[in-house]
Order: sequence, then structure tokens, then C-alpha cells
Amino acid sequence: MLLLALSDAHIPERAIDLPQKFKKLISVPNKIQQVVLLGNCTKSYSFLKFVNQISSNVVVVRGEFDNKTVAREEIPLNTIIKQGDFTIGCCNGYTVVPKSDPLSLLTLARQLDVDIVLWGGTHNVEAYTLEDKFFINPGTCTGAFNPDWPLPDANNESTLDASADKSEPSAHASEAPTDNANDTTAPAQDGNNGQSDEPNKEDEDTDSEIDDFEINGRCIPSFCLLDIQGSTCTLYIYTYVDGEVKVDKVVYNKK
Amino acid sequence: MSYAENVEQAISNCRQQTVLMQRCLSQGKLMDALKHTSIMLTELRSPALSPKQYYELYIIIYDSLSILSSYFVECHPKKHHLADLYELVQYAGNILPRLYLMITVGSSYLQSPDAPREEILKDMIEMCKGVQNPIRGLFLRYYLSQRTKPFFETEEPEARRANISLIVANFIEMNKLWVRLQHQGPLREREQRTRERKELKILVGTNLVRLSQIVESDFAMYRDEILPLVLEQVVQCRDVVSQEYLLDVICQVFPDEFHLGTLSELLSTTLKLSPAAPVNEVVLTLVERLNGYIDRQEHPGPEELAKKLESLDISSESQNVFFVFWKFLNQLNEERPDLSLQEFAPVIKGILKLTLRWYPDNLSNVDVLLKFMYEKCKESGQSVPEDYDYLFQELLLSNDLRHDPHFFYQALTECESYQKLLRVQNKGLQQYCVNEILDVITHADLRISSKIELEKILGVCEVMIEAGVEKTSSPLMLDEEDGSDAEKWSLNADQEKLARIAHLCYNKSIEKHTELLVACKDWFQKGDKNAKYLYPALICNIWKLIRKCQLMTKRKPQRREKMGVTIKQLFKLVSRTINELYNTCEGGCLDLLYKLNLQTASLADQLELGDIAYDFFSQAFTIFEESLSDSRTQFQAIVNMAQTLQKTRSLYAESSYDTLITRCTLHGSRLLKKQDQCRAVYTCSHLWWATEISLLGEEEGVTENFFREGKRVLECLQRSLRVADSIMDNVQSCQLMVEILNRCCYYFIHGDENSTHVGTKYINGLIELIKTNLKSLKIEASQGEDSGERFFIGTDGSYIHQSPVNSVSAVYNKPPTSKGANLTSVPIEFFQRTLQYIEDQKDVDERFKAISIGSEF
Repeated sequence: MLLLALSDAHIPERAIDLPQKFKKLISVPNKIQQVVLLGNCTKSYSFLKFVNQISSNVVVVRGEFDNKTVAREEIPLNTIIKQGDFTIGCCNGYTVVPKSDPLSLLTLARQLDVDIVLWGGTHNVEAYTLEDKFFINPGTCTGAFNPDWPLPDANNESTLDASADKSEPSAHASEAPTDNANDTTAPAQDGNNGQSDEPNKEDEDTDSEIDDFEINGRCIPSFCLLDIQGSTCTLYIYTYVDGEVKVDKVVYNKK
Repeated sequence: MSYAENVEQAISNCRQQTVLMQRCLSQGKLMDALKHTSIMLTELRSPALSPKQYYELYIIIYDSLSILSSYFVECHPKKHHLADLYELVQYAGNILPRLYLMITVGSSYLQSPDAPREEILKDMIEMCKGVQNPIRGLFLRYYLSQRTKPFFETEEPEARRANISLIVANFIEMNKLWVRLQHQGPLREREQRTRERKELKILVGTNLVRLSQIVESDFAMYRDEILPLVLEQVVQCRDVVSQEYLLDVICQVFPDEFHLGTLSELLSTTLKLSPAAPVNEVVLTLVERLNGYIDRQEHPGPEELAKKLESLDISSESQNVFFVFWKFLNQLNEERPDLSLQEFAPVIKGILKLTLRWYPDNLSNVDVLLKFMYEKCKESGQSVPEDYDYLFQELLLSNDLRHDPHFFYQALTECESYQKLLRVQNKGLQQYCVNEILDVITHADLRISSKIELEKILGVCEVMIEAGVEKTSSPLMLDEEDGSDAEKWSLNADQEKLARIAHLCYNKSIEKHTELLVACKDWFQKGDKNAKYLYPALICNIWKLIRKCQLMTKRKPQRREKMGVTIKQLFKLVSRTINELYNTCEGGCLDLLYKLNLQTASLADQLELGDIAYDFFSQAFTIFEESLSDSRTQFQAIVNMAQTLQKTRSLYAESSYDTLITRCTLHGSRLLKKQDQCRAVYTCSHLWWATEISLLGEEEGVTENFFREGKRVLECLQRSLRVADSIMDNVQSCQLMVEILNRCCYYFIHGDENSTHVGTKYINGLIELIKTNLKSLKIEASQGEDSGERFFIGTDGSYIHQSPVNSVSAVYNKPPTSKGANLTSVPIEFFQRTLQYIEDQKDVDERFKAISIGSEF
């Protein structure tokens, strides 16, 4: 079965709509059995209508900008889905402290006794396994602005804030997000390529153009599709980079 | 001679007579053949036939007459001379058979080169006047026209002119007969007559087709000799069916260029039509033709067109097609005050279509048309009847206008009259139009970069901005307004579209961009309570501007000072916007305001603006303290605050951070429910344990100057444990303790006891405590069968019910009371999982080996 995970649409307060190419991809009728909205997706009538057309089986968890209810039903902070051999915990993560911390998420997984954790709130698509559990964040499906600390640019150290004295010059932040060394990580952060800016370009106007990608906090539109067959979960990560849709695939087997 | 009673009989008679005629011909008995033909032709005199039946009969007779005709031609002049025959058939007894025979002989005679062509043609046309019965006359003349068709093709201009005048004469007579048909018979059959006439229209139209074939490309002849006569007939006949049909045929059969050259004549003819004739249809047909002309041009550029038009030998004034139509429109307005809005609207739409095709860049034409319509609407005094809504919808949202979103946008921003015309429509239609407009412009990758344009767009949307304002001003509603502070928020598709405008605003200059957003805000303010749908989008865009300033400073450090001032202004703008939202919504969206403050604080912190960040955090606290009343909202709010504070870096100076986190923890410990207190406080322990932020290059194990105070961490955990212990509900109490144990594991992994103060001893103690508590819980545990129903307690204390029949679990805020709900196993199993985790960690981390989990689990 196919499970679609969308998060942090922030329509209309931060974005107008999903990229058209995304819409085309996912609006195939009777293809997707279940949709999970991982927060900040419930303030747009048009978006909810669109989601309902994909599947009538929609699971919602609350993000910090969601109201307490949608369609007169209270939105839970976390919930559990069962599909195939998997139990899947869903949570926006705005009450997970420290934010998006793998160990905190692992605690959540343990508390809910789930194999897969779907979370959102960071606008940053990623997927990794930790302690045999699969952690998936579909990022933001609209590429909405993220007021958190922007992601570091993997290719260009000069984007590190020059005045941040606390940082050590050699520190490079692209390591696995945990100190538990026995786990494989599969961070899926495409789209950082070719976005390097030139800090020393001198003859620019005072009001120069700055890429929306940079302004939005280096987040790109993305979503995830989980194909669950028995004890195998194939994860497809869709990202929207420079007007093109890219797909990455990760396979996770339940032990 | 008599005729059959019905059409079947008439047809069989004809067939029979045809056979007899053919036999006579083969035997050379011409006179007998003519006699049979005569009998056959008598059938055409029957008054009992409907036009359709008459036509059927006519076809059969036409075919037999063709046999006769070819015999005539073959045997001329060996057996007979056609001139003699022409005389001979004059003696047929009845006029109708006589004339058919005459035309048959005459047209056959015309095939021989020595025939006196013109005399015969003239004579035949003259003689046709003898039949004045409409149907018979029409068919007779049609027969004439069919038979003589081959003899009108000539290259000679003189002959051509003569031919044309013959055809025109025939056309005029036919049209008269056709019109007369309407007035035959009793009045109550009028509609039936009209229907029958429409069935016969092709007979009349054929003449015009013939004319167009003869005139070929001779524009001068068309303009001077054909069109005036035809149009005169159109006007004079004063018959609606005829006028409508003939003008349509004229438009269809003659070339586009001709219409271009005679546009004024055609249009002024429509002014003289009978009042009931549909002027708009004629105009629309013409527009279609003229637009088709453009489509058929190879290079429809303005220069080529101008050249073409010049070559047409028409006055320079008439070369501007729009101008001709515009003049016509004004004339129409003057001469036909009786025309209603309903009739004007399609005309305007037609001309709009024309100008957009011919002069696609000329928006003033569009404006002038809309203005005309607007004034018409105002003239009519009352509001536009709702029945006409569709007409104005077609005009305002015309496909020709909106097919290209960029052009549509241009029209919206440059045509003064668009908004005016929209504003005089019914509210419902206005709303609908604004909805469509917003859909077009927000999905077109458009950017609004000037304030003037923005004001125009927002002006167009005014009806939507003000929607719902009256509702709340009703005094009857006051009771409902007070009291409940429940979030009055509903999905609102209209306001959602409106909010998107904020994302369209863009200007390279930060100052101008800010102006745009402020202008937006001023308009949105008119929506009063709707601000809660609109302001968040504005705030997001100000945030983006702040981030942009930050990035620009990074690129060019010398701009730091100037940018610093701008950034501060922008934060002030955010603050003002949030406050305005607070004032207009009066508690309708407090949770939203709280979060907006938090996120702004976080943004300020990233810019190392500790003071500003502190201010926004304080604002958030104020809202929390004064206004957030619902306990679940409070809990989530305080945890969210902790999450945000934990990621700050700029507040360490002047112990701002300390003040804030202490306040946050204090609020956590004062939450209404004990379980919320417990969870909030152990969550707040993280406030004394900073973790890496990769953008800053921080890294666990490498960075040494993290803000960390293990002692306070432990204090928080101890405090929350005390709260957990004091809870009477055993399940909740145990669950919370296991949650705390999990926190302990977190800190245990993060560092040794010296720094975290969370050591083996503490963890072992906690495990013992939990075991003791679980023992008493286990007594309660019923040893029921495993029904597959499972329960979990979520991070906010909600109860999650996982049932084997549903894929999605049900979530409750209160403990479920159903009989299958065995909650005692929840903390027990969670504890087992935690211990298992600790056990597993022993393989990876030596230190875990010091934790004793005992054997019972």
C-alpha cells in the first residue's frame, strides 16, 4: 500500500501552493491509500480539498500553527498507524525537545512502541535508521519559509556566520546526527548543489537579489511516499530542485 | 388537371409520369412527353404540402426535368428548334407548369451558342413574377436559379454586371416572397410559419452564395453594386427572421477583406434593423470573421495589417477597426435607447474580443469599453438584475482577457474602469469574480512590485476584504461575541486566497518591498476580524525580509550598520503587526499570536539581537500569563517555548537566558494538571543542556562551550519525579516515571555524571522505584485474553487506542472507559521496552553496564 506523508505546507501564511509538478504526481486517483499530514497543513481549504481527493483516509497531527480542531475534530499531538507489519508513530515534533533530536525522537518511538517515526516541523527532508527504527521527516511540501536556524550549506563554509565566534573554523557540520555510531544514516538533503553564493562580489547594488531558497532557510519543497508491503517499507523521497522533481529511494526492512 | 391528396401519392404520380415521359421521348413523341410533364408539374400546385414535402417533391421533379432538358439539347436543332419550343410551351394551360417548362426549355436553349442570351434570361425572370404564392414562387425562382447557374460565369465585366443585376433582382423577389410567407394563414400559426420559413431560408441564401462566386475578388463591384442593393433589401423588408439570416449570410459568404472595407456600411445597417432583430449577433458574427481574418494572415503584425488595410481603398478613419466599432457603439447607444443592458453586454464583449485580437497591446480600448458598460449600468439606475449576472461575468472574466495571466494582471492594474464596473455588480457576482481573479494571478508566477499596482489589485478585491465585516457589527451578535474565548477560526477559502496576495509582493529594494507589505496591511485592516486569516502571511513576508537583510549583510559586511537599522525597523513592524492582530481579534487567535512571537524571537536570536529576542519572548509570556486558559493549549505552549529557548544563542548576556528559562520552567511547574507539570518540568531540563546547532559549526563532543548546567538538569528531573510520585492515579504515575527514566537515559548518553549529574546511582534508584510501583500496579492488571487492543500514552498524556480492526488509532484526552481498556499494561510495557533499550546499549556503551536492571523484567 502507498502512504503519502506531507508536512508543513503553511498555506496560505507562508506559501501559495504546492509546486504544480508535485500536484500532478500525487493527484492520481485511487493510487494512494492513506495520507498523513504532519502538522501545519490544516489552514487551507484548497489544500485540504486537494488532499481529500487523493485519499479519503487522511491522518492529521497537530503542528504549532494548526488550530485545536479541523472539521470539528480535535487534532491529536501524536497518533499511531498500523500498516503491514509496521506500526508508524506520527508527530509534528514541535513539542519534542530538543527539536528534532534523534535521541528524543527515539524516546518517542519507544514510548509509542513504533517501528517508524514520521515527524515534521523542520522543513528539512531526512530519513535515517537508529536502533533498528526508521525515522522519516518529509520536509515541507511547499518549500515554506523556515524561521529556525537555516541548514548549513554542505558545499560552502563561507555561509557560516562570520561573526559567530563560537564556531570553530574547522568545524564542519555534515555528520550523522547522533553519537551512536552503530547506526546507518541516510540523510536526504539534495538540492544544496550549485547554490553557492559569492560573498566577495563587489560591484553589486545595495539591493541585490537573493535567492528565495536562501531566504527560506535552505529548504526545498519535498514529500515522502511509503510503499509498505509486509515487512518491507520502501521510502521514496521526492524533492523539487530547480523546477525538476527528483526521487530518491531508501528501503527499510523490519527485523 | 388536379393534384394528389398527400405527398406519397404525389411522389408516385410524379414517378409514373416521368416513366411515361421517358417512353414518349424515346418514341419521339415530344408533345405527349410535354403533356406528361405538365401533369407531373401540376403536383407542385398542391397547397396541402408542407415546405419540407414540397422540397422532396421538387427534387424528384428537378431530376425528371433534367432528363427532358438533355433531350431538348440533344435534338436541337435536328428535330426541333428550341426557339419554337420556347414559344410552344407558352401554351401550357396552367401558369406553374408553363413556367417550369419555359425555364427548362429556356435554359436548354441557352446552351446553344446562337441563343439570344440576355433576352431569354430577362424574359424568364420577368415571367416568374406571375407566381406570387410564396412557396411556389420561391421554388420556381430557385429552379430558375439552379438551371441558369452555369451561364453566369463570365470574365467580361459588362456581362458580369448584367448577371449580377439579374441575380440581385431574383434575390430581391425571393426575399419578398419569403417575407410574405410569414403573413399567410391564421395568426395563431405564426410560430409555425416562422419555423417553416427557417426551413426554406437556404433557397434565398443561395442567391447570395451565387453572387459571391461571381464577384470573386472584385471588391469595388461588391461595394458599389451588390452590397448597397442587398442591404437596402435587408433594411426594407423589416422582417426579423430575414434580417438576421441575411446579415449572417452576407458575413459568412463574402471574403473577410470585403467586410473590412465595408465595415461602417454593415454596422450602420444594423442600426436600421427592426427593433426586435438581434444586433449583438450580427456584431458577433462580424467580430468572428474579422478575428478569423487575423488568424489567416501569415504575419499578423501591426505593420502588415496596416499595409493590407491601406490597400483596401477605404478612408483612413475606417482603417482603425476598433474605431469603426466604437463609433457604431456610440451611435447604437444614441439611436436605440430601448436596448437593455442584456443586449449591450454581448455587443461589448464582442468588441472587446475584437480589440484584444487586433490591438492586443492597447489597453485603453479595453478601458474605454468597460467604461461604456459601467456608465450603462449606472444609467439604468437600479442595481443590475441578478439574471444578468452571467453576462457581466462573461465580460469581466472573459477568456480573451484572462487567458494570459500577465495580460489580465496588466488589464486589472491599468484599466480604471474594471474596478468601477465590478463594483456596480451584485455582491455575489463580485465575490465570484474576485475569487477567479485571485486564482489566476496567484498561480501565474506573478510579482507585484509597485505600490500603485498593488493598490489597484487590492481595490479590485475590496469586496472580499470587507466580506464578513457587517456580520459582526450586528448588535444581535454581541452576546455570542463575549464570553467564550474559543478560537473563532474556520476554513475560509476566500480569505485564504486574499492572504496569498502578500506572497506576490516583491521588490528588489527592501524599503520598497516593506512599503508594499505595509500597504497590504492597511488594506487587510479593513477586514477587521478577518485579519487573523491575513496577517500571518504578512508577518511571514516581513520575516523573509529580515532574513534577506541578514544574508545581504553577510555578503557585504560593510553594509552591516545600514542593514542593522533596517532590520530593527522590520522587527518593529512585526511587533506592530502582531499587536494590531491582537487588538482586532480580541482573543480569537491567542495561541497563534503566542507562536508568532516565539518564532520572531527565534529569528531575532539568530541575528544575535538578544534584546529584541528577549522582548518577543516576553510578549509571548505575557500572552501566556494573561490569556491562554485551556490547559492543553497551555501545556503545548510551554513545551514549545522550551523547544524554542533551547535553540537560542544570543541571550546569555545579562543573564536574559537565565531569566527566561527560569520563568518558562516555573510556568511549567504551575500548570493545572499534575501530569502536565511533570512533563513540562522534565522537558524544561533541556533548557540547561544546549545541543549542537550545525549551522554554527557546533558539534557534540567537539564544541566545549555549550551552555550546560547538569546540576539544574538533575533538579528538574527530581522535581518532576516528585510530581509524578504524588499523582494518585497509579497508571499515570508509573507512566511518568518511565518517561523520566527515558530522559535520564538521554542525559546518561550525553555525558558522564560529572557534567550531567545524572548518574548510575540515580538511574538505578529510579528503576527500583518504578519496579516497586509497578508491583502494586500488576496486582490490578487483569489477566484477560489478548484481544489485540493496545493502548499507549502519548507525549502530552493523551490515550492512544490501537485496535486490530483500524489502521489509524483513536486518540482520547481522557482515559477510555470501555471494558477492554486495560491501561495497566501501558507503563509496564513501556518500562520493559526501556529496560530492553538499556540492555542493548550495554553492547555499545561500557558505561551502561553499571546500570542494573534486575531479573524480573
